[in-house]
Amino acid sequence: MTKQTKENDDQEREEGERRAIMKEAKRSFTIRPIRESEADKAAELVARLKRLNSEFDPLLKTSDRLDSDSLKMMKEAIADKNSVVLVALSDSRIVGMAKAVLRDRIFYEPRKEGAIVEFYILPEFRRGNLGRDLLNEMVGTLKKRGAMLITAEFPSQNEIAKKFYTKLGFRSLTNVYAKQY
Amino acid sequence: MLSVQLNTLFVPTYLLFAIPKRVEIAKEKKTVKEKEAAHSSEMTRKTNKQDIMMMKKKSSRRRGGAQKSDLASDLALKFSKRYEGKMQTIPKVPITSLDDFSIWYTPGVAAVSRQIANDSDSSFDYTNRWNTLCVLTDGSRVLGLGDIGPEASLPVMEGKALIYKYLGGVDAIPIPIRAHEPNEIVEFAQHIEPAFGGIHLEDIASPKCFEILDALRESLQIPVWHDDQQGTAGVILAGLYNSLLLTNRRLEHAKIVLFGAGAANIAAARLMISAGARPGNLVMVDSKGIIHPEREDIDHMMLSNKWKYELALKTNEERRVGGLDDAVKGADVLIAASKPGPDMISPATLKRMNKDGILFALSNPIPEIWPKDAKEAGMKIVATGRSDFPNQVNNSLIFPSVIRGVFDVRSRSIPDDVIVAAAKELAEFTRREGTLSEEHILPTMMDWEIFPRTATAVGAKCIEMGIARKILSKKELLGRASEIIEHTKKTINSLLEAGLIEPLPKQNTKKKRKG
Repeated sequence: MTKQTKENDDQEREEGERRAIMKEAKRSFTIRPIRESEADKAAELVARLKRLNSEFDPLLKTSDRLDSDSLKMMKEAIADKNSVVLVALSDSRIVGMAKAVLRDRIFYEPRKEGAIVEFYILPEFRRGNLGRDLLNEMVGTLKKRGAMLITAEFPSQNEIAKKFYTKLGFRSLTNVYAKQY
Repeated sequence: MLSVQLNTLFVPTYLLFAIPKRVEIAKEKKTVKEKEAAHSSEMTRKTNKQDIMMMKKKSSRRRGGAQKSDLASDLALKFSKRYEGKMQTIPKVPITSLDDFSIWYTPGVAAVSRQIANDSDSSFDYTNRWNTLCVLTDGSRVLGLGDIGPEASLPVMEGKALIYKYLGGVDAIPIPIRAHEPNEIVEFAQHIEPAFGGIHLEDIASPKCFEILDALRESLQIPVWHDDQQGTAGVILAGLYNSLLLTNRRLEHAKIVLFGAGAANIAAARLMISAGARPGNLVMVDSKGIIHPEREDIDHMMLSNKWKYELALKTNEERRVGGLDDAVKGADVLIAASKPGPDMISPATLKRMNKDGILFALSNPIPEIWPKDAKEAGMKIVATGRSDFPNQVNNSLIFPSVIRGVFDVRSRSIPDDVIVAAAKELAEFTRREGTLSEEHILPTMMDWEIFPRTATAVGAKCIEMGIARKILSKKELLGRASEIIEHTKKTINSLLEAGLIEPLPKQNTKKKRKG
């Protein structure tokens, strides 16, 4: 074996090890409640979510103030006692978030509803178990707060979301029909 | 004597170009013809004007310069009308008396139909289906003309059929259809599958071309080929193999930037990955910059172009952001299939690449940067799509032989590994000839041996992968492919010699036409 090929092989092995470590890190996530300092990062994900939603219907076109409104909403949600915001971290980086609000359904049983209103994971971290894990963590948190029914809201045309929730046992409950005048 | 009755036997009928009327002799520019004649130095039979016509048809697409393409355009218009189209149908069975029809037609033919009714795959043995290719298009992205529709795409499809017959001995039938939606085109191909040995998709706009190719590869039992994707990708890979060899690099380690994210480069990236390139080492750049999974439009990409999206997730391991300059820093190879230049890529950009850089500047009709300027900026190897520069990346090197190969083994499909085998054979051919150099990384269409040899490599790979209906040894494959291609050339030459294909008018040397 020449020196050159041995160097190449060593380089290759080191690279392979480094890649494996990176892959591992990507695949192990931390899911926990959001901290105040993380509001801006989580708000960025919310803005991405709203832009994704706008792909599904022109009536979901985002406003020019999307970024500042997302940040404002996120800060309010963190302070709000009836909201739950969770973040998913990979290597101390926020790569996903979920926000839910606790509602009283008034007319129906069960009364207390945990409504997941925002749920977003960055593209390169999808298609693994993170979505399911984040959802399960959220469900667990909402149940601890007394919610007996969990709902999720998303645009009607979003087939990916439909498949995701259906696979986890959810079914369609109410519809919102809209017309612009 | 062949009678008119024959026309009714062969359905569908195509434009004839056999016996043109007497037309005025045209004045042509001598220099163009001389140049073309000079290219054809290695032919084993005498050069004839039909070759030149064919080369003009192919290279008018690649040649740049207003003068040359104006001339080619004028000739194309004049001659297409004079010959009333480029292709015709001819029988391959003898007819010597009326009795013969009882064999070729009723009542004899019923037995053949019964045989095939029992075993539909025997249609490959008893009819010309085994060698018949459907050239399918909706005319939605024709050359540089865009969406010009099915009728307007006919001349291009005829030209493709001409190349298929001449270089690969394949009977290709132009089938432009009036359909636009991907599912319509997919359904059409599924419905017409029984008539053909394979489907060649051509000039269909991206990204619907990806969807159509993927759907058909999955659902049909005959091979499907999209030349704009797989043909370009195959020849790029062939050129890349030799370029890497010349610069002491390996595909598994090479850092490759792909500038332009249309059909050609998306297919090229996918094929390179199939061939062993590490996805993380590839960086794709489109008009918005480097493609990476956190770009603002990534979710839009997921919904509108999932092939680009998949590459966004797999490539660019370092997660570089920015523009072309950021992508090429420390890169070994730049494959550009973007917009016409010559200012799409600057010398300053190329200087940021590694030493002994490799550049494929493939846009038509003007490469992203002139080869001379690229060389001055430090590139060791430069390839373009044009025949008037060295290292022409030309799809015609690969598609006639891939189809010849898959037809000879009645393959059910053309997986990526088969295209990789074809690319390897093209690359190895140049090495075997001993002509490999920085100015010569690929064979040319004049290297007639590449067609049967590549067909052999393709057929052998299909057999190895278990998708062939017919098993032949490598020797038999080579013999078969060579025989078919030679037979075709002999037939065409006989027609020319017998005056049944009228030669192009002699050029008048006294009056030179000004381009």
